[in-house]
Amino acid sequence: MSQPLLSVETINAGYGLVSVLHDVSISVMPGEIVCLIGSNGAGKTTLLRTISGVLTPASGSVRLDGADLTGAGTKAIVRAGIVHVPEGRRLFAGLSVRENLLMGAYLRGAGTPEVRRDLDRVLATFPRLAERASQDASTLSGGEQQMCAIGRGLMAAPRLLMIDELSLGLAPKVVDELVETLAAINKSGTAILVVEQDVATALALAQRGFVLDTGRIVASDSTRALAESPEIQKAYLGAELELAG
Amino acid sequence: MLALQILVNGILLGGIYASIAGGFSLVWGVLNVINILHGSFVVLGAYMAFFAYTLLGIHPYLFVPIAALLLFAIGLAVQYAIVNRVIDAPVLVSLTLTFGLTLFLDNVMLNAFKADFRKVNLRPPLGIIDVSDYLPAIDIIVPVDRLASMAFAILLVALLYWLLRRTSIGRAIVAVRMDRYAASLMGVDTRIIFAVTFGIGAAMAGAAGALLSPIFPISPLASTAYLGKAFVICILGGLGSVTGVLVGGVALGVLESFGAYIFGPEHSLTLSFTLLILLLIFRPTGLLGKRGFI
Ligand SMILES: Nc1ncnc2c1ncn2[C@@H]1O[C@H](COP(=O)(O)OP(=O)(O)O)[C@@H](O)[C@H]1O
Ligand SMILES: [Mg+2]
Repeated sequence: MSQPLLSVETINAGYGLVSVLHDVSISVMPGEIVCLIGSNGAGKTTLLRTISGVLTPASGSVRLDGADLTGAGTKAIVRAGIVHVPEGRRLFAGLSVRENLLMGAYLRGAGTPEVRRDLDRVLATFPRLAERASQDASTLSGGEQQMCAIGRGLMAAPRLLMIDELSLGLAPKVVDELVETLAAINKSGTAILVVEQDVATALALAQRGFVLDTGRIVASDSTRALAESPEIQKAYLGAELELAG
Repeated sequence: MLALQILVNGILLGGIYASIAGGFSLVWGVLNVINILHGSFVVLGAYMAFFAYTLLGIHPYLFVPIAALLLFAIGLAVQYAIVNRVIDAPVLVSLTLTFGLTLFLDNVMLNAFKADFRKVNLRPPLGIIDVSDYLPAIDIIVPVDRLASMAFAILLVALLYWLLRRTSIGRAIVAVRMDRYAASLMGVDTRIIFAVTFGIGAAMAGAAGALLSPIFPISPLASTAYLGKAFVICILGGLGSVTGVLVGGVALGVLESFGAYIFGPEHSLTLSFTLLILLLIFRPTGLLGKRGFI
């Protein structure tokens, strides 16, 4: 078996005295799309923050391609190839779409030929962003903002793209579009770790999934197996149906 | 004609004011630090220009970039070593800290340079332009030193705008201002951006000081007046916005100019603070009414 691209081992992390994650281990193989599901407050965002270096774990380790990145800080971790697209998009208002995208390449230097090529590529991937490239990012619709946030992440030329709450607040049609684009991005070699509340979307997008519940991993399997598991159905899919009904 | 002359005087003054406020507004907007040191930085820049001219014969306008560089270094050091420690504390903490640093710096300058008001007397003086020589219908005069200082001041503010909008570090400054957390996810080291921003604010102050050295008297006692003007301009024009600084600067310049004519020059500061209070009551987002845009 090949070596995992990302391997998180028995992480314990939280905020100050509040510990949120308990012995969490996950992995992402090269070229894989993995989803992380779990209800509100389960610790999904906290896990992404620990991987991207915003939080330093109390114990455990984060490795990318075998290299230890535990506690290395966001700058080193972005450089190493892990990018975290935050929950709520968090684009820079007051900067144009193009300027937002260029911020994603901050550590690579904005003027280099590679960055310019990647900018063209991102704009080709998201034609709607190309149309609005000089517009203030705060004028975008929700779906366009998510595209811009993902594009900004891609501008760092990541090996692993982590997206928190991909579909939150977006129309189903836009979500389908995003799922398709992410599959294409993944085909060109970027591994993806996606946090998704909408379990149906998560299972459609990813090959493998982890289920987080109050700071612990309670299930991990192929998405197909997860979709068929009675517990998952009861805990997440059922709840969805109730909400929808 | 008198009204036109007063208006022109006000605009000339306002351009120079804009350069005083630019750095202050930047630091306030990005770091959420009300930098009480700013006025003292202006005075320090003016003293540097004064001594560069009297001792070395360097023209104040040529000295502007040097003053900017020196103050940039000082600002960077002060921020990184001292102000960074309280950057996440409430705004009153950093205000108190920079207030203390101002007392220190002003007293050091008082000891070193004494309280006498000095001024760069350009030799030969730049003279005045009598507009009626060219346009007989318009009977106003324009002092060349004020005109030149204003032109350079506006150039300085334009340079700040260019820096913020067209360079990578400038974009990072704006990004940190808008969303510190998201910026750090892009790999931006916010502590370094804070230090650079503070340095740029100080550089703007130093450059403004050199620009006004041929026009206004220089003394450590003037630092509070400059700080007060920067403060009023930020409120007038809206915080952290380069266009707001220009609008606010010119508005204050024109207002002071008319106020000085009507009430007497000794009341100009009272007038600007009265305006400040009225504005805070009736239009707290500033004249332009927008907030948060560079
Ligand atoms: N900045 C914070 N400070 C303190 N506690 C936090 C913070 N952010 C999240 N938490 C707590 O951590 C737990 C997990 O939150 P989070 O990781 O955001 O969950 P999820 O993303 O799965 O909804 C929650 O109990 C939440 O209240
Ligand atoms: Mg979350």
